[in-house]
Amino acid sequence: MARTKVVVDPITRIEGHLRIEVQAENGMIADAWASSTQFRGIEIIMNGRDPRDAWAFTQRICGVCTVVHAIASCRAVEDALDITIPPNATIIRNLVHGMQTVQDHVIHFYHLHALDWVDVVSALKADPDRAGQIARSLSPWPNNSGTYFKAVQEKLQKFVSSGQLGIFTNGYWGHPAYKLPPEVNLIAVAHYLEALDWQRDVIRLHTIFGGKNPHPNFLVGGMASAINLDDTGTINAERLSDIKALIDKALVFVEQVYWPDLLAIAGFYKDWASIGGGVPNYLAVGMFPAAGSDFRDIEHLYFPRGIILDNDLTKVVPYDEQKVREEVMHSWYEYQGAPAEGLHPYEGQTVPNYTGPKPPWTFIQDQEKYTWMKAPRYDGKPMEVGPLARMLVAYASGHEGVKALVGEALGKLQVGPAALFSTLGRTAARAIETVLVARKMEDWYDDLVGRIKNGDVATFNDQKWDPSTWPATARGYGYLDAARGALGHWVEIQNGQISRYQCVVPSTWNCSPRDAEGQKGPYEASLVDNHPLVKPDQPIEILRTIHSFDPCMACGVHVLDAEGDLVTTVKVQG
Amino acid sequence: MYFPLTDPWEPGATLGEHLHSRGVSRRDFLQFCGEMGAILGLSSLLTPKLAKALEQLQRPSVIWLSLQECTGCTESALRTSHPTIGDLVLNLISLDYQENLQAAAGSAAESALQQAMKDHHGEYVLIVTGSVPLAEGGIYTTIGGRTARDILEEAAAGAAAVLAVGACAHFGSVQAAAPNPTRAVGVDQIVKDKPVVNIAGCPPIADTITATVVHYLTFGRLPDLDYDHRPLFAYGARIHDQCSRRANFDAGQFVKAFDDEAARKAWCLYEVGCKGPATFSPCPIFQWNGETSWPIGAGHPCLGCTERMFWDTMTPFYQRMPKVSGFGIESTADTIGAALAVGATAGVAAHAVVTGVNRMRHRKEGASGSGGGGPDGGSASHEEDRHGQD
Amino acid sequence: MNAGPGGGGAEAASRETRDRAALGERPRPAVHGYRWVYLWHWPIRAMHWLAFGSIVVLALTGFYIGRPYFMTGTGNATSYAMGWMRFLHFAAAGVFVATGIVRLYWLFAGNKFERLPALFPLRGRDLGNLWRMVKKYLMIRPERAPHYLGHNPLQQLSYTLVYLVGAFMVVTGFALYGLSNPEGFFYDAFGWVRELLGGAQGVRFWHHVMTWFFVIFFPIHVYLAIRADVTELDGSLSSIVSGGKFVREDLEFEDE
Repeated sequence: MARTKVVVDPITRIEGHLRIEVQAENGMIADAWASSTQFRGIEIIMNGRDPRDAWAFTQRICGVCTVVHAIASCRAVEDALDITIPPNATIIRNLVHGMQTVQDHVIHFYHLHALDWVDVVSALKADPDRAGQIARSLSPWPNNSGTYFKAVQEKLQKFVSSGQLGIFTNGYWGHPAYKLPPEVNLIAVAHYLEALDWQRDVIRLHTIFGGKNPHPNFLVGGMASAINLDDTGTINAERLSDIKALIDKALVFVEQVYWPDLLAIAGFYKDWASIGGGVPNYLAVGMFPAAGSDFRDIEHLYFPRGIILDNDLTKVVPYDEQKVREEVMHSWYEYQGAPAEGLHPYEGQTVPNYTGPKPPWTFIQDQEKYTWMKAPRYDGKPMEVGPLARMLVAYASGHEGVKALVGEALGKLQVGPAALFSTLGRTAARAIETVLVARKMEDWYDDLVGRIKNGDVATFNDQKWDPSTWPATARGYGYLDAARGALGHWVEIQNGQISRYQCVVPSTWNCSPRDAEGQKGPYEASLVDNHPLVKPDQPIEILRTIHSFDPCMACGVHVLDAEGDLVTTVKVQG
Repeated sequence: MYFPLTDPWEPGATLGEHLHSRGVSRRDFLQFCGEMGAILGLSSLLTPKLAKALEQLQRPSVIWLSLQECTGCTESALRTSHPTIGDLVLNLISLDYQENLQAAAGSAAESALQQAMKDHHGEYVLIVTGSVPLAEGGIYTTIGGRTARDILEEAAAGAAAVLAVGACAHFGSVQAAAPNPTRAVGVDQIVKDKPVVNIAGCPPIADTITATVVHYLTFGRLPDLDYDHRPLFAYGARIHDQCSRRANFDAGQFVKAFDDEAARKAWCLYEVGCKGPATFSPCPIFQWNGETSWPIGAGHPCLGCTERMFWDTMTPFYQRMPKVSGFGIESTADTIGAALAVGATAGVAAHAVVTGVNRMRHRKEGASGSGGGGPDGGSASHEEDRHGQD
Repeated sequence: MNAGPGGGGAEAASRETRDRAALGERPRPAVHGYRWVYLWHWPIRAMHWLAFGSIVVLALTGFYIGRPYFMTGTGNATSYAMGWMRFLHFAAAGVFVATGIVRLYWLFAGNKFERLPALFPLRGRDLGNLWRMVKKYLMIRPERAPHYLGHNPLQQLSYTLVYLVGAFMVVTGFALYGLSNPEGFFYDAFGWVRELLGGAQGVRFWHHVMTWFFVIFFPIHVYLAIRADVTELDGSLSSIVSGGKFVREDLEFEDE
């Protein structure tokens, strides 16, 4: 039987612009291509700038994971200039990054991912009282009443019968792949709406410390939000109690809404625990330095660093950044005089070489080069990054909290650990991580208050603020595990200016194209791993698996070399 | 007879459908419209228009294009508190295309877009986030195989109003910073035949975005704009003139370094590079995220993100003055100026010494030659002048 | 124009008498071998010193506004240091603008040393003289330097540059001043300046940088004035106070 070429472009409910092409055969996906269709060239723009400004530029790589590039950038510069930030600043950054992770994961689950599993229209057929009963059996959340669900259903009814479905237009409603009973659909829709309000509120933690969200402000050497209990314009008891309330609010929602919903919905989609695994290698660089220690102290990270190879959870392989290479065989770039296994980021080149068809085009899968993503490989192997990678590395490293929650999830769903290597596993790992981070924020908050109580209010180290204190040349590496996976920034400073800036980011790993040996990237590999596609014109299955990665395309597409080659090679047309 | 209480207007039905279901004929309806027009003092020629407007009393269609960008502006819109995003999407507008939120993907999404553009041609509000890369024929951002420019031009053609939301749509933002590798430009560089409202900021405050939409829906016209086409209700005053730390500025009380005593008193951030004096934005008044705080309120200087090309004109962010190109970051205008002033003084002093030496030499020559120069002391130039007249 | 010592002197003397009478000044005593020429009417002299004073105030307060070099207060905002600095800056700017207006008027009402053509070395001979003046200050054949009663071509150029920079400071200053009231006159009237210089930051930068022009100009100007006075012994230093100077009767002047 002939294969059907299927194009999904745009992939919606993600950050940025992603195109997926597959070949379908007998209801299954036989081959897949992931193509990133946006390029911005931010690292070129970094050249010659003040390194203390770099966080603001790189932060604008992505407005969804809005703090991770800023923190990675600050750390890269702090590493280069040998700056140690005060413990309070580490805690504040953890709180900001923690709330980002929690809020981002919840938004991902309800607003970006849920519509792949939840049939909004089916919720109209639900019995609200029955929905209330089910919800109450899952959690003590105060809104779990029949009256509440009835009100939501009426709101939905009014919306649907207006005939103007807005963002729900042309959804795949009624598709046989939707398995939830109407009542669970109604619960999910109610929580979709509640999460919209919740995310707006909890993110105010960023506003308190960073002045705004998206794109809160950071500072090389610490944080700008001074602590003074006796001033109206600083972090004082009023601000602290607001922060505490927000952390509490985040945790309650995660424990009483997100986690129960995840488990309930997953229970209806257990078949997805054997679909969409793909690349069997997982990489985490680690996340959340312990307060009082430094991000360079990789022994004391809350989520540890390491690599899982070939789905083997008995062993964590240490990560060595020297083994990272990037290839461009199938990317719209060219290397000059580079070895076949690609280049380490420090030697990276970026010469865009667009060879694709002239827009508008139809298919791109016949092209040798088909994306703006490079193909990063670790020791020659493709790697998946993200919450699943982090939870697997933590699980295999013996992380108590992770083991307990993974155990709870596997037990409730009655599946074995192998179920983790799947589309469903990816989605579940994100929820596990969210619960743990939300809980951990309480600890960080207590730590911050304890330090203030003991008279430590420092938030900034100004010893190396003045460029006259800097060495003539310096080089630094800043990393963290962002919501979507392992992130690294490399900076080179010469005479007080950035001379080279590089980022290796989560979605480059995950959305990587094939490499010279033909190994597919994680998106591509997951789509051909026991992957169904029942109706090629309603590719809901593709969305499920791709969304389980939480793509962030703007992050993935970047330039590894800030030497300015690009400027001379781009042909400017009118 | 029509009783509103017993014959409720079904939610979602247009007025036309509602009246039809109540047994009101098209003829009666047009007659009603004519009478209404007469009451409002409208020409009878406008009756069909009025009828159409009343019949189609629906949630207005909004199409949101995401082009070359970081999605921060969509995230910001999600944070709006009045109206909330749920209220906006479910009750106030019909958000017919929004890639980050919509259920459909691929061709289903594209057909939703095409349908909305067709059904509401000339009536929909077009919101654009992201810039348009022009280099190499636009291949740096494509959606569904089409370039950002192509998509924008098509969508703008049928739009009643175009809102360029965020710094990217305003002027290209960070990707348009020097050297602008992809030749990114803002919406108003592409859409020239109709007014483009720039809702500036990186990102703009959520409520500024939604308030502009609400303004259009409520008052039936776009808000008044400033010289850069930003709504005056939000961008009509300078941060510096609305700042909660202005009193410290006037008092001469400045933060000299982050986390110093002055910072812990929330003094003015002017000296650590605050761009409030050059930036028009509602941050101090509207504040961010449900009026929680704002950048200066949280101790960080303003970056000036509502101003065109701020990545180049407002950097370095931690210095008040822009960088002098061609010199290192430390070589600010003042050090160069001071060096030149010292140089000028030194040059003048050296010149004076040489002049003095020359004069002494001439005087000696004069003393041995003509025997004195009278009351004027025989100045060197005097001697020179005599030579000059020889 | 370039009359000999005899006739020209008489003509100058009669004009001098007329000017003095017009301005109610006392006649000057004669010194052997020298004659006194009247050059600068009092509005020019007043303008010079008012401009000098206002530039000193503008530069000092301007540098404070640019980088507040002293701090006040330890508690809450009780002083008004920056407020006063800005007040003084704006007040001095008012004086400076007034001097500019006077100068503009006097470009048309003044004598030939003060009028518009005296600002530009446009005559054919001026260019050669300009070069000879430059050489004089480089101490290359200083004896060949031409003699002027008013401003020599090099002075014309440099003072015209001062006027232009002064005008630039006025224009950029008003552009910055206008920012505080976007509905006001100055905001609209000087919007083109912001457009031209790349936004408010560009205006601020150039307004700040050009202050250094005056700081650099000051020592050179004072030195050359003293130098001329000392080397020529003609009282040119006091001419900006008294309005005139002594010149040797035996010299020819390019602008007589």
